[in-house]
Amino acid sequence: MKALSIAAVQASRAILTRFGRGGSLPGEIGLKLDKNIFSKLKINAPVILVTGTNGKTSTANLITSMFEMAGYLTISNRKGDNLKAGIATALLGGANLGGKIKADAVVLEVDELNVRHVLPYLPVSALVVTNFFRDQLDRAREMEQLIESIESVLPAYTGTLILNGNDPNTVRLKAKAPNASVLYYGLEKNAYSKTETSEASEGKFCPNCGHRLGYEYYQYSHIGSFYCDGCGFSTPRLDTALYDIDLKTRTFWCNGLKYRDPYHGLYSMYNCAALLCTASCFHIEERFVREVLLHAPQPAGRNERFLINDIPVILNLIKNPTGANEVMKVIETDETPKNIVIVLNDHEQDGRDVSWIYDTFFEKVLGPNTGKIVAAGTRAADMALRIYYEGWQDELKIADSIEQAVEECLEKGRTLYVIATYTALLDSRNAILKEKQA
Amino acid sequence: MKTIKTAWLYHDIMDLYGDKGNMMVLKKRCEDRDIAFSLDTIGIGQSADLAEYDLVFLGGGADKEQMSLIPDLLFRKENIKKALSENTFFLLICGGYQLFGQYYEAADHTRIEGLGIYPYYTSTGESGSRCIGNIVLDGQLDDLKTKIIGFENHGGQTHGVDHPLGKVLAGAGNHFNAGFEGFYDGHVLGTYLHGPLLPKNPEVADFVIAKALSKKDPDFNWKSLKPLDDTWENRARKPLLKRLINEES
Repeated sequence: MKALSIAAVQASRAILTRFGRGGSLPGEIGLKLDKNIFSKLKINAPVILVTGTNGKTSTANLITSMFEMAGYLTISNRKGDNLKAGIATALLGGANLGGKIKADAVVLEVDELNVRHVLPYLPVSALVVTNFFRDQLDRAREMEQLIESIESVLPAYTGTLILNGNDPNTVRLKAKAPNASVLYYGLEKNAYSKTETSEASEGKFCPNCGHRLGYEYYQYSHIGSFYCDGCGFSTPRLDTALYDIDLKTRTFWCNGLKYRDPYHGLYSMYNCAALLCTASCFHIEERFVREVLLHAPQPAGRNERFLINDIPVILNLIKNPTGANEVMKVIETDETPKNIVIVLNDHEQDGRDVSWIYDTFFEKVLGPNTGKIVAAGTRAADMALRIYYEGWQDELKIADSIEQAVEECLEKGRTLYVIATYTALLDSRNAILKEKQA
Repeated sequence: MKTIKTAWLYHDIMDLYGDKGNMMVLKKRCEDRDIAFSLDTIGIGQSADLAEYDLVFLGGGADKEQMSLIPDLLFRKENIKKALSENTFFLLICGGYQLFGQYYEAADHTRIEGLGIYPYYTSTGESGSRCIGNIVLDGQLDDLKTKIIGFENHGGQTHGVDHPLGKVLAGAGNHFNAGFEGFYDGHVLGTYLHGPLLPKNPEVADFVIAKALSKKDPDFNWKSLKPLDDTWENRARKPLLKRLINEES
């Protein structure tokens, strides 16, 4: 049975790849034939899982590249999805018929609600957790239930937890994992830290005792240096701490060395911190980390840049208020004239509830340098209404299609920012590329 | 100049699902009519006489966070009754709506005592099930009949509502297959509708404004308000009414 299911996955993967499709279908077939397929694999390499609300794709990609750079034969689900079937596809693709995985390292990005289906069944050496925010609540239910689902599989876990030490929601995981060791990463107080916050915030109460949490400072949202007067729960001593952060030059220091963040914004520095922490956990030489940060590719839709007839176009994915607020902050720092296209869809993967746009600070991008705003997508009119209620007086339009919106906003002398929700990202990218070819 | 004095209870805890957008809408629709709109936030332990306000708003929160404010809310019970008797209008969304009833049962089956102002009560959905999705009501607010659009997302199943806000045209309502949604009795508007509620329902927003103004001016009603240009609101309503109840305009 085992050999059959593994063979089936490999055969279907080969066929689908030939026809230009990969995705998670082979893994789905494998799981159908044998739902315990994970437990039957023989893995003699460190397995690293990366999960959390925001930054898990970037972080998993950085960690994968680091192992590759250091000469490890690395299996990852970089090209697949982060649900159970996508993970099965990635793993079985690297297995022989006996279920033995040929790899020196396995790095898997795992959807938060799938951690409990994966962690207990693989020999996991490290679980990297980025943060927990409100994300598509109508699908994932309340964040508390999501964290509890991860906590439920931690009591038996014996590997290392690599946790964001500035998020009370990730730090709390250690208490449920008595047999695991732990490393914390984070950012020290810097020029961008604030003592007050108005951003949608999860970390209001101590997860231990329910007492209200205090903050010495916030980095963004509820990420920062927290403490509980009730029970002493607080930001732990950071094993990997970034300091002297400069967002203009995108540089930071760690252990006496200066690095450059390949991406923008304070939130992306946390991905770098997670990478450095993972490197120290697996004793990867510093030069490989540096190499990865220098050459990290820009992932699709994360400040992805295009040039159309000398007009810079920048594409960004937004999927929840916290991620969206960080995107707004990056756009806000660009003081050049700009136009903005916002594509709001309400399909399952976007979250069918679009309420979250009222938790997002769109006012940050409605400054005097913004010319016009065009909304598109299945809930374009909701987006336009949101901008209208922000008091926006200038040009506001609803486009029938993303192409029309992009075309409308391409204007000499103005940078075009395209902001799109999950299911609109690919179409937005295509609309930009189409203009490029036109 | 007319003024509306608003209290937003537990703004820092009960702010799930963009409910702060409701305050944004009330403020703009007041200011567009030269009505002064002031907003005070009132947190746990903060003393306040709610009867001094024209309008009190209470949104929804996550179960765990909501639990933390119960003692403070129950402490305010007599003051809330006083405010109601002096015609302060209450707008309650989701958790706030539930807490004005007898009790609500959290997802982990803990029973939480409510203010008991109304006879309705809220149990939890069977094995964690929740009413989730877009919803449209045929709303009835005094003599105002209006279709109300929103998004519901609640495990709580509210029973025993004697004055619903409206008849459900698409969606679940107070509980699975309820047929009716929310609560309205002239003093309190309670509903599960997020979206947030007010941006896409300008008539409801104006109704709330009129109710708040009628505290000081009992003859004032929603028809007394100067009409505004609701182009953007109607553009957002149209595709949803088409999609959800196949209404052609």
